[in-house]
Amino acid sequence: MSNKRKLWQIFGPVICAFVLLGILFLVPWHFSGKSDSALFKASVSRSNNIFKGQEIKKAAFAKEYVPFYGSSELSRMDPMHPSVLAYKYKRDYKPFLLGGPGSQSLTHFFGMQGTSQELTDKKAVMIISPQWFTKEGQNSAAFSMYFSQLQAVDWILSAKNSEATRYAAKRLLTMPAGTADESTKSALQTLAAGKQISGQTRLLLETRQRILENEDDLFSSLNMPNNVPQIQSGAHKLPGTYAYDNLRQIALDQGAEHTTNNPFDISNSFYTHRLGEKEVARLKGSQKNFDYTKSPEYGDLELVLDQFASQHTNVLFIIPPVNSKWAKYTGLSEKMYQEATNKIVKQLSSQGFDNIVNLTKDGNKKYFMEDTIHLGWNGWLTVDQYVQPFMKQKNQPITYHMDNYYFSKAWANKTNVGPTKVSASKSN
Amino acid sequence: MINLQPYTNPRYFLIILVALLPLIIGLYFGKRFKIYEAIFSLVFLFLMFDGKDTIQGWQLIAYVIFQFIITFAYQRYRQAGKNKTWVFCLAVILAILPLTTVKIAAVVPTQVASLIGFMGVSYLTFKTVEVIMELRDGTIKKVDPITYARFLLFYPTLSSGPIDRYRRFKADCDKAPEREEYLDQLRLGTRYIFQGFLYKFIIGYVFGTIWLPQVAHAAQVLGNANGGLKISWALVAYMYCYSMYLFFDFAGYSLFAVGTSYFMGIKTPMNFNKPFISKNIKDFWNRWHMTLSFWFRDFIFMRFTFFAMKKKLIKNRIRISQVAYLVDFLIMGFWHGLTWFYIVYGIYHALAIIINDIWLRFKKKHQKQIPHNKFTQALAIFLTFNVVCFSFLIFSGFLDTLWFH
Repeated sequence: MSNKRKLWQIFGPVICAFVLLGILFLVPWHFSGKSDSALFKASVSRSNNIFKGQEIKKAAFAKEYVPFYGSSELSRMDPMHPSVLAYKYKRDYKPFLLGGPGSQSLTHFFGMQGTSQELTDKKAVMIISPQWFTKEGQNSAAFSMYFSQLQAVDWILSAKNSEATRYAAKRLLTMPAGTADESTKSALQTLAAGKQISGQTRLLLETRQRILENEDDLFSSLNMPNNVPQIQSGAHKLPGTYAYDNLRQIALDQGAEHTTNNPFDISNSFYTHRLGEKEVARLKGSQKNFDYTKSPEYGDLELVLDQFASQHTNVLFIIPPVNSKWAKYTGLSEKMYQEATNKIVKQLSSQGFDNIVNLTKDGNKKYFMEDTIHLGWNGWLTVDQYVQPFMKQKNQPITYHMDNYYFSKAWANKTNVGPTKVSASKSN
Repeated sequence: MINLQPYTNPRYFLIILVALLPLIIGLYFGKRFKIYEAIFSLVFLFLMFDGKDTIQGWQLIAYVIFQFIITFAYQRYRQAGKNKTWVFCLAVILAILPLTTVKIAAVVPTQVASLIGFMGVSYLTFKTVEVIMELRDGTIKKVDPITYARFLLFYPTLSSGPIDRYRRFKADCDKAPEREEYLDQLRLGTRYIFQGFLYKFIIGYVFGTIWLPQVAHAAQVLGNANGGLKISWALVAYMYCYSMYLFFDFAGYSLFAVGTSYFMGIKTPMNFNKPFISKNIKDFWNRWHMTLSFWFRDFIFMRFTFFAMKKKLIKNRIRISQVAYLVDFLIMGFWHGLTWFYIVYGIYHALAIIINDIWLRFKKKHQKQIPHNKFTQALAIFLTFNVVCFSFLIFSGFLDTLWFH
């Protein structure tokens, strides 16, 4: 055998592998359509890969799925959970759950990149937890769990020079996940300085985008948690026809059944596994100094609102309470909680986001919360009383009046914001 | 600042392949471009120890200077025809002093201590100690400074081995291999690197990144629920999952290092040879992290055995080998780190190999009564596999987290 032939035998397959890999990643495939069952599984999976990607979200939002942006409460999948109710009563919308522990405004802002076309003139639901509004704001480790280069590249390629863009670029530069990639980092620095990215950078990023999209398309739905059985078992506990009084009784019964081992009406499993006696003893009075009124989160929230405004999306905002018994025990200030809520409501309503469900005074209602700070049985059912009429509204483009003031440090640190009276309509 | 850690992702291999291309073409035509090789090594060492790792880079430089002083001072002493034991011991102690400092610093909980150490310090120390010991034996007559620097700083194996030997390396690094032989090395190198992809980036990833955290979480939750020693089925699953991860991750890395060495015309020895089909623990250590276990065999076990026999410390030969195993594996345990689980791991393997020796002697004596067939062989492999996996559970430190944190 000649040496040339030997060389070809060694490196030929390697070259072929690289060529095939190039074809796989660089051709805009948009692999096969996503089946209905795959979309449903994805919509309740709360999978980080789905959150980071876009292909599945795009496919879902083009259909009857409505994004429910939130955080850890989305995982409280009892029979009154929005996904269970929509599934059981065959509603004409289906919630697509986006978020988990630690996902806050900044996470959601980047998670929204890539789906703006699908959400233009459509609806969305967002559960804003006052707990997000800490002194530090978005935790960087949690951020990295939900952040992907695809989100960054999507955003960079669509960003126009504006207060919001400069704010977002600067904010992302403070996150280790945002600076991990050199080319992303330098593009962010350009945008933060209010400059345009060069044509060459754009070309490079577009190639990256193609690769990342194909990667997302191929791999994001692999290894997805399957929560469908949980949804089905929840639906199984519901009566065939929707009647509020019946459902309320079931919510109360379920709540009573699951909160027997502690005086806080916290679900037994949460109390045993997540808290434990020792931890509970340690937490007494521990939240006395919590303050949600001053936080970089307010600016981050403005980014999300700006994104909604650019899509003319009609959004229902839900602000959940804390478990009153727990708050009393840990010393969390009700006055402070209300002040933070006032500030959030003001920021929303002053810019035209009027569909606000303020539940922050319902923390003492029976089985409203599933544990310490997460909505459960009765809470979810109450949410449903607002979600239903909201979903019945006709889709129409909404014009918001955005105000850059909400990006400022002055707003982030402002206190003594008075209450604003606005509320979404409720079914009776 | 660009910082390139070896073998971390597929892109790295493209970069290194392009950088090595002139060297590869040269070797194919029978020429070894030593100056290019030196520049390549320096550039990639710089990229490995720059940016956030600069502090490690300075330590590496200081370390190499320090080792050069010891090695060449000792060589001078040996060339003068002198061979005092205490001088030899002093040289060895000095050579392992930096590593000892690093290992102690690792368990000192202060800010400054956490800065001490650099990637590869453990593996470099094996090489320097080997050279000093061979100078003592006279198997190495003369160490050439340039070859010694190339040997120590050989880029593909710097961070985690395999551990090469000076004389073997020297034979390869001065000449270019015959074309026939080099083609064979290219063939094997390519195969090893792709096998490494499968091992480290696919199988190791599934076991280590996808499954291991899930199993660990389950083992924590179930363990806490069970109480006592916190033993659960999830802990058993953790043991196997971690063992698989450990093998595929490290074997994958080793294949990368060997494959890259072959491209550079250096036949770095292999580290693994199907360890999970070992028939007994002794067999296992001839197949698992081979360059490490052979180093320990040659420079700890054998030396201790000869020393003990010469000084008549212990009369009984069997007893000598048993003590030698204990010394051998204890030192290996300490080398891994100064925590209880590494040391227990060492003692555990020493005991396993001692028991294995007793059994083998017993079996030899009663050859007629003890059956030997396919079934007993399978049983032996199964037993060895489980004994080894249990040792990796200790090694993983997970029990430490489970019990004490």
